[in-house]
Amino acid sequence: MAEVVHLLRERPGVGGTVRRAAAALDVDGVAVSVAARTSGGEILWCSGDTSQRFEDLQRVLGEGPGPDCLADGTTVRVDDLARVRPERWPALAAEVPGQAVRAVFCFPLRIGAIALGVLTAVRRAPGGLTDEQSDDALALAAGLTTCLLERGDPALLPRDDSDPLPFLQHAEVHQATGMVSVQLAVPLAEALLRLRAHAYSSGRTLTDTARDIVARRLRLAPDTDPPPPAADKDRTP
Amino acid sequence: MTSREQQVTEVFVEVAESLIADFDAIDFLQRLSVRCREILDAAAVGILLADENGLLHVLAASDEDTRLLEVFALQHDQGPCVECYRSGRARTHIDLTDEEVSVSWPEFAAVARDIGFVSTNALPLRLRGRVIGALGLFQTDPEPLAPADLVLAQALADVATIAILQQRTRAHTEAERDQLQYALNSRIVIEQAKGILAERWQLPVDEALSVLRGYARAHHRKLSELAREITEGTVDTARIRSAPVPPPPVSPPSPTTP
Repeated sequence: MAEVVHLLRERPGVGGTVRRAAAALDVDGVAVSVAARTSGGEILWCSGDTSQRFEDLQRVLGEGPGPDCLADGTTVRVDDLARVRPERWPALAAEVPGQAVRAVFCFPLRIGAIALGVLTAVRRAPGGLTDEQSDDALALAAGLTTCLLERGDPALLPRDDSDPLPFLQHAEVHQATGMVSVQLAVPLAEALLRLRAHAYSSGRTLTDTARDIVARRLRLAPDTDPPPPAADKDRTP
Repeated sequence: MTSREQQVTEVFVEVAESLIADFDAIDFLQRLSVRCREILDAAAVGILLADENGLLHVLAASDEDTRLLEVFALQHDQGPCVECYRSGRARTHIDLTDEEVSVSWPEFAAVARDIGFVSTNALPLRLRGRVIGALGLFQTDPEPLAPADLVLAQALADVATIAILQQRTRAHTEAERDQLQYALNSRIVIEQAKGILAERWQLPVDEALSVLRGYARAHHRKLSELAREITEGTVDTARIRSAPVPPPPVSPPSPTTP
């Protein structure tokens, strides 16, 4: 699974990588949907038709394990869709008999309150994930969380593959994220990106930058004139 | 009854009352850390939980002082808690002034000594043959914990494990792995909310948390839920700030003999 996470990070969007993840998890499909402000979610990566159809169905119905996972921030495991109480997802329950998917596992892609998306694994046959598969799925979800956070600015990607989320270790990073979001009146996700961008451009670690923010030795300026990403010459390619 | 027995009884009552109610895991673990520190006459206690990569994260500590949190955070990949987590065995009476300790965990030992700690202990959070984290206990005196103290410390570590697995999430998740993951993420939400409040109120982050915790307890709100609402902007934080500060929570009255 480490290899899959690495591949995703190097070339996100490559369908083959998502299919590899599906094989590693011994499931029939894997999809990554990202949180979208207006709709129920947008499919970002998908391993094939089985996953695509189920994601589409959930989006059209506006309910199911994926939307619950996104809203609540908890993993949602459905070992057998046919055995779920119909009250839980009434519209979905009505569609289940015609669906190829029987088991669904949704993992939140989150950093605290920052909800980035959902990793959904589906199976045609009922049955749960083994402990090992669950651990692999969680590792994949952690790797995907980093990818999603960095989407749009790959230059900020951490290069140390041994530790997928090295910046999450220190409480100050999350405290500083909250502070910056108030200072700049931006959502938490953007505050974290601004924090990382500042750390990167000043050549310091994210933790040190966060500590300065928390100690009020540093205050980020409002982003009045954002540099166009492509024209940033100082960055090493 | 001796005061020590009295203390243990009080903790038992508190734990039982919490676990049958709809409690907040992180807030419960923080109170448990305080109780553990008091009963064992320790200087500081922290509860660490492992993520899916086997790295330890602080879930709660007896004091939310930034430097103390750091000495626990430093144990994400080094220190007695990590060894305890990996081996599944308690690491007790580790002398922080010992040269060997400094060589093994230079960063951790230096920060711990700097705070004034002279010895430390780590006890595993056990779950059916698995270890999910560790309870770290620091002392400012070199006296080793008595065997009875260690038994008690392990019992409190086991209570922490039970509490983490008993938390009720919004989606009523039941798988153990999901519970652990949820607990780790809840702690991050609290940190983000601390930052938001600290900036709005122009307070140090630890003080912002004290105000938030006081409000949550006085209004019987779950700390994690309140923190989440703050990050979502659905709660009036000015009201939390201006709410009268409640007295610190008191232990339930001891049963009187008829």
